[in-house]
Amino acid sequence: MGTLSRRRGTIVGVRRSLGRGPSPVAGVGLGLVLVGVVTAAITPVRGHVTLATPALALVLPVVLAAMAGGRVAALTTAILAAAALNLAFIPPRWTPKINSVDDGVAFAVFVAIALVVGTLVAREAARRRAAEQRTEEIQALYREYEAVVAERERLTEESHRMALLQRVDEQRKALLRSVSHDLRTPLAAIRAATSDMRSGADYDDATRDELLDVVGEEAERLDRLVANLLSLSRIEAGTLQPDRQAVAVDELVADRIRRLTHLFRHVRVDDVVPPGLPLVDADYSQLDQVLTNLLENAARHSPPEARVEVGARARDGSVEVWVADEGPGVDLANREHLFEPFRRGPGSQSSGIGLAICRAIVDAHGGHLDVKAGPSGGAVFYFTVPVRHA
Amino acid sequence: MPDRGTDRILVVEDDRAVTRVVSAALRNRGYSVQSVTTGEAALVAAEKEGPDVVVLDLGLPDIDGVDVCRRLRAWSTVPIIVVTAEGAHERKVLALDEGADDYVTKPFSMPELLARIRVALRHRRALRVVDQTVLEVGDLVIDLPRHAVTVGGRQVDLSPKEFALLSLMARHAGKVLTHRSLLEQVWGPEAVDETQYLRVYAGQLRKKLADDPDRPRILTEAGVGYRLVDPDTSDH
Repeated sequence: MGTLSRRRGTIVGVRRSLGRGPSPVAGVGLGLVLVGVVTAAITPVRGHVTLATPALALVLPVVLAAMAGGRVAALTTAILAAAALNLAFIPPRWTPKINSVDDGVAFAVFVAIALVVGTLVAREAARRRAAEQRTEEIQALYREYEAVVAERERLTEESHRMALLQRVDEQRKALLRSVSHDLRTPLAAIRAATSDMRSGADYDDATRDELLDVVGEEAERLDRLVANLLSLSRIEAGTLQPDRQAVAVDELVADRIRRLTHLFRHVRVDDVVPPGLPLVDADYSQLDQVLTNLLENAARHSPPEARVEVGARARDGSVEVWVADEGPGVDLANREHLFEPFRRGPGSQSSGIGLAICRAIVDAHGGHLDVKAGPSGGAVFYFTVPVRHA
Repeated sequence: MPDRGTDRILVVEDDRAVTRVVSAALRNRGYSVQSVTTGEAALVAAEKEGPDVVVLDLGLPDIDGVDVCRRLRAWSTVPIIVVTAEGAHERKVLALDEGADDYVTKPFSMPELLARIRVALRHRRALRVVDQTVLEVGDLVIDLPRHAVTVGGRQVDLSPKEFALLSLMARHAGKVLTHRSLLEQVWGPEAVDETQYLRVYAGQLRKKLADDPDRPRILTEAGVGYRLVDPDTSDH
């Protein structure tokens, strides 16, 4: 719409510019004044100069009038100049006469000059007008192009915004999906176990213990999920600030492994964290959550009887902690997706928020979390935490 | 108390905790339990072990549980009880259409699952000795060639459509039949959405069979379909 009306405006403007060019009235006025000036200037000295002086000097007004006013102004000025020469300089003065050869030659020359210069000026003016018109057209096209570009930019921006909104919406749906799945699965196990125990069945000790274990472990699983959800909401609100203190990594790892023993029923956990590492500057419970998530991941992806190794070492003013498993490993080419919220691996039963939370916590500590392939397959998740300076 | 020590249950469930509970509870009742975590493993185990009942979670990590139903049904008549997540109504109906016999919705109670397993086993045993011309579901007897129906020896007069519906349900006694499959087989493929037919005919059948509302023969599975049971042995 805007483009169309803009284009119409351009055309009107071009037509108007066609009417510009030499002004005959101004040219005639200029010629008249100049002829008068030249005549007045030479008249006092006419006794000392030949006729050639006024004749040549009067060519000047004709040329200038032609340039300013085109052919009409040139011709008018030529006639004026011829008359001035005739009356003021060819004796007898102040008497019109067309009898001498001088008169005829002067008149013819003035008219010829007027025609030639006038034509040249007109042609030049036409050429200039054409050039101006082209310039105007190019400028109009350019303005139009700019408008189109601006419109496209606006649309692109809008589509970016739409895409962003859509992503947020999808993330929200994914969160609801994974949270309801993750909450319900442990609840289903708890409900099945407690409903069975209430049915009045006779149990041997092993069955009773098994059912009670499941209830306890699934309650802990729910607890871990709720902790992750709380962290997620803090991350989203931008309020995940580590409450830093001096943390001994070896103690943290040992304690976490002891608390998660039941997770490792089917795997072997080796704690190879060496004693004497420097203390790190970290929020104990946040670091504990990172470790818990990584250990839970490792246990979940481990085949029966596999080994999970937890280690640490001092490195460049940081302590690096790693959790290595013997599971199927990760697709390293797409590993960044692992750390996006709600990314589930194929067939994964996790909410897909654990690793995203780990990354956010480690980032908040000024550390780095990543994954690499293990020496004999499997995945090695490792992160760094800065050493605490006393 | 053990129902029957030799009955083998195949549990297909990818969550370890749920599997542990179900396995422990079933073993405690004297069943023999095998558990697998994927659809492919379920198909292999079903062929190798020949279970008496399959408890199949529809949300499996590898293949769709509905596909497992279809592929299992291609060669086996083993009763399949599907476990579905709450809110997965369409998938439950789909699984039943693909040959599943019954369903429980997560979170389920163990007594509920055990009851479904008992029903499935009972009907599986009944199926082995069924006389193809006379169907018996408790005191309900349907003589197919003679189009005659008796309840506790009392003659019941049924219209041809009522008879077709009742005998279809009796042939699959204990199994949940979806609205769609009932309508298609009794009224034809163009009537699959006419759920109100079933409401009317199920009501008429209940009246004619003198169903006790507290212990009905024809059970309504809300939003899913109907099933015919023997009220004297049913846990419902």
